[in-house]
Amino acid sequence: MAKQEKQHLYEGMYILSASLSDDARQKALDKIVAGITKRGGEIHKTVDQGRKKLAYEIDKKRDGHYVLLYFSVPSTVMNEMWREYHLNEDLIRFLTLRIEKVPEKIEFQPLPV
Amino acid sequence: MFIKKSPIENLFSKKRKQCPFTAAGIHHIDYKDIELLSRFITERGKILPRRITGVSFAHQRILCSAIKKSRHMALLPFVSEE
Repeated sequence: MAKQEKQHLYEGMYILSASLSDDARQKALDKIVAGITKRGGEIHKTVDQGRKKLAYEIDKKRDGHYVLLYFSVPSTVMNEMWREYHLNEDLIRFLTLRIEKVPEKIEFQPLPV
Repeated sequence: MFIKKSPIENLFSKKRKQCPFTAAGIHHIDYKDIELLSRFITERGKILPRRITGVSFAHQRILCSAIKKSRHMALLPFVSEE
């Protein structure tokens, strides 16, 4: 029996092109999700943060659609996934980070002034 | 032996600010929290030195990497022109 690889929990933030139609954006997101699941990963949570203005221009684009994904994959496939993301033209930017647990709600502890 | 400062010396010696993160008991700074991060950058978008903000060394390092992650995701500017 093949040894089960240890899965790690990740948080991925993706900026999808805002010029895509709703259908095309959904398709682009499905492609990302499929890339995770086909490598033996699992999606725990998806948070659509909506369209936001970029702080600076990226590839002559001023807006982006932000999506947060919480997923677990074996850490060995991460490099493979990054290579795929770099080839994906609908994806403007991405950031994947190791996390300890999936947050219930995205909120922050306020800092007293 | 403890030497007591004269009143004039006391007038000029600054009281050290306490680190806001230590005081609030925050251990993790999230790169998505733009509201908090933008308090520690200048109008131009530079990271403020900790001698101005009073952030502790350990927290300054965490804060720095959070700001840099945030910049990568275009949530904060590298340079702000306004």
